[in-house]
Amino acid sequence: MRNRKTALPAKKRILRAMPAALASLSLLAGTLRITGIRIAADSGESALSAVSEAAEAPADSAAGNHLPPAGTDKVTLRVCNWEEYIDLGDWSEEDTIDLPSGDIFGENSMVDDFETWYRETYGVDVEVEYSTFGTNEDLYNMLTLGDEYDIVCPSEYMFMKLMAEDMLVPLSDTFFDEKDSLNYYVKGVSPYIREVFDSHQIGGEKWSRYAAGYMWGVTGIVYNPEYLTEEEASTWKVLADPDYSRQVTIKDNVRDSYFAALGALKSDLLTDPSFISAPDYRQRLEEEMNDVSPDTIALVQDYLQDIKDNVYSFETDSGKADMITGKVLANYQWSGDAVYTMDQADEDDFTLCFAVPEESTNIYFDAWVMLKKGIGSDAAKQHAAEAFINFCSRPDNVIRNMYYIGYTSVISGGDDGRIFEYVDWNFGAEEDEENTISYPLGYFFSDDPGDEAYILTVPKEQRQRQLFAQYPSEKSIRRSSIMVYFDADKNDAINQMWINVRCFNIKDVPVWAWVLTAALLAVPAALWLRKKERRSFTG
Amino acid sequence: MSVFKFSRKSLGIPYAVFLVLFVALPLLVLFYFAFTNGQGHFTFANLKGFFTNPNALGTLCYSFAVAAVTTAVCLLLAYPTAYFLASGAFRREGVLLLLFIMPMWINFSLRITALKEILTVIEGNLARYPFLNAVVGMTYDFLPFMILPIYNTISRLDNSLIEAAKDLGADDRSAFLKVTLPLSMPGVISGVSMVFLPAMTNYVVLDMLYNSTYIMGSLIGSYFSAYNWHGGSMIALVLLAIIIVFTLLTGRNEDDGTPGTGGALL
Repeated sequence: MRNRKTALPAKKRILRAMPAALASLSLLAGTLRITGIRIAADSGESALSAVSEAAEAPADSAAGNHLPPAGTDKVTLRVCNWEEYIDLGDWSEEDTIDLPSGDIFGENSMVDDFETWYRETYGVDVEVEYSTFGTNEDLYNMLTLGDEYDIVCPSEYMFMKLMAEDMLVPLSDTFFDEKDSLNYYVKGVSPYIREVFDSHQIGGEKWSRYAAGYMWGVTGIVYNPEYLTEEEASTWKVLADPDYSRQVTIKDNVRDSYFAALGALKSDLLTDPSFISAPDYRQRLEEEMNDVSPDTIALVQDYLQDIKDNVYSFETDSGKADMITGKVLANYQWSGDAVYTMDQADEDDFTLCFAVPEESTNIYFDAWVMLKKGIGSDAAKQHAAEAFINFCSRPDNVIRNMYYIGYTSVISGGDDGRIFEYVDWNFGAEEDEENTISYPLGYFFSDDPGDEAYILTVPKEQRQRQLFAQYPSEKSIRRSSIMVYFDADKNDAINQMWINVRCFNIKDVPVWAWVLTAALLAVPAALWLRKKERRSFTG
Repeated sequence: MSVFKFSRKSLGIPYAVFLVLFVALPLLVLFYFAFTNGQGHFTFANLKGFFTNPNALGTLCYSFAVAAVTTAVCLLLAYPTAYFLASGAFRREGVLLLLFIMPMWINFSLRITALKEILTVIEGNLARYPFLNAVVGMTYDFLPFMILPIYNTISRLDNSLIEAAKDLGADDRSAFLKVTLPLSMPGVISGVSMVFLPAMTNYVVLDMLYNSTYIMGSLIGSYFSAYNWHGGSMIALVLLAIIIVFTLLTGRNEDDGTPGTGGALL
């Protein structure tokens, strides 16, 4: 494996090296739910630099391409994405990704590069107003309370909700035209992702009609191999394991916690060989992992209560730092953040690993969707929005984003081999390295899981390290399940369950506390009465 | 003259605008959400919901407990400190006072992060003492707000009152109990209200110190992230009502405590 230490962009490295104190500021901001910091894209600066990949210059390929409607000369595109979820550029020399097929380098931010590219390709000025959100729920609240965006990047359950509530504009037919040389998304999206987006429906409509994937990942456990074996970490039951009392963390949101509790509660069923080998395994797994019947919710509530008494914290952001500083031994993590945590630990010269629980893992997809309120019937806007998706899906840009943010793109590159090349560059074993394993990625890069062209030779440890987090093995993907969005009643029920877990119940107030309170209230009351009596004498 | 009057009045305009935009309007929105349901119809269901919800009431109790213990600890620490700073030889030593006030100049999330590390060293594993952590964190955060008002009241006390008490035969102890303490009550009361009320809702401290039980602030947040603006607004409104009642009560006592009324005679 190449040394990932030098492989981090300089800017990111500075960010990561910032003292915990500063990090806590962002935590505070997150906690106070301050979101939507608007970064006005600097369109002036972008004109100074050419797009990094000169070979992609459009002039020669523009012939069969779909152009923006005639008469458009300026478009404003309002993009809202997760925080720290796109390349902001400004890399230092040493960050250059020197693939055999050519260097890849992030000079300007992706947004600036898009503006330049769009102008040069289509002759239309586009101004991107880029803002960010912190959680899917924040985004939904922003949308329903009047913020207007053209294109946003929620996770699958949230775009399912937006689809169900008829808030989205479908992707145009031209977006799916593979003959258009600039349709990088449709030409490059992984066959696996395409299958998922085509096979899942809501209200009779395929996801893929409205949503174009951006990043994806799974959930699992980051653990310290000095204290936990891989086997111990490969189950959701570790969260309630008294052997690790107050030494594990769980995510502070109802959906992730619910999934973990379900996995632990149904562990026996989910790991039963006859269940796994059943022909309708995938479908049944998804049913089990989306079980929100009242009985199950009650069981989950009890189990989460146990987890609450066992874990170190419910965290949204602090888990990574606590893992790195050694405060906890294992933590429930999204795969992209797991990569970050392991990278950071590597810099401090100790090893952390990633495990995907045997029961099931929650696979998630963040995808671009266009909003009715923003795009409406503005064809020029929609063209720019779809071009933005395509630009982010261009293989060199995919690599820049993945390198910068640590998550895994849904793009496998299609005919363009650079993304697989990048994975090999990142994780592949040196020629003289011993103790290597072959790591097949055919399931993602090709239609055929065993495709010989997509087998990596990697150091053995990568089987439970960054590579595994970024591209989980086919075996662990097979036990992945999406978690759908629930209708209002079910959603209320699990939210109420969550509040029951997190709140102190008035029935649990001990008798002595009531007595003490009464006594404490009686003292000032008595004093006041006495004073009043005295005053009536003196007065 | 009329021009002068006009300009005096116009000085108040910026604040009036601020008041309308950031106090009155949000309050109206809060009322609107609290007394409507999802369809926008007027309802008391949210109010009833709060008082029949064992979690909401339990959270209220828990918040009260955290706030009450925090306030008591702050008071026990702050009174002697303020007394010491305000009396005798240290009375003019602004530097010492500064030492106690200085933490207020540092952003509180930075202070809590530092505290987290210190507590980890002392306790070993933070997560084992959630209630203690919450109280320690809040005390650390709010202590200056208790010290300052008490210090101000004590340092402004007329020394001749204490001398008079002593001339009339009171020893140090009874002079303190019968003169200084009652006369410093206004400071104590404003200190208490400056600590108690924020401590009920400051959930950031709990989050940062890994107390995973909700207090009022985090409960409101959880309603909002479940898209329940109506229930969340009602909780905020109930909290507001508690604050108003509390302020009215302490405001009355504060009057009682000022010199020249009954306080001095107690």
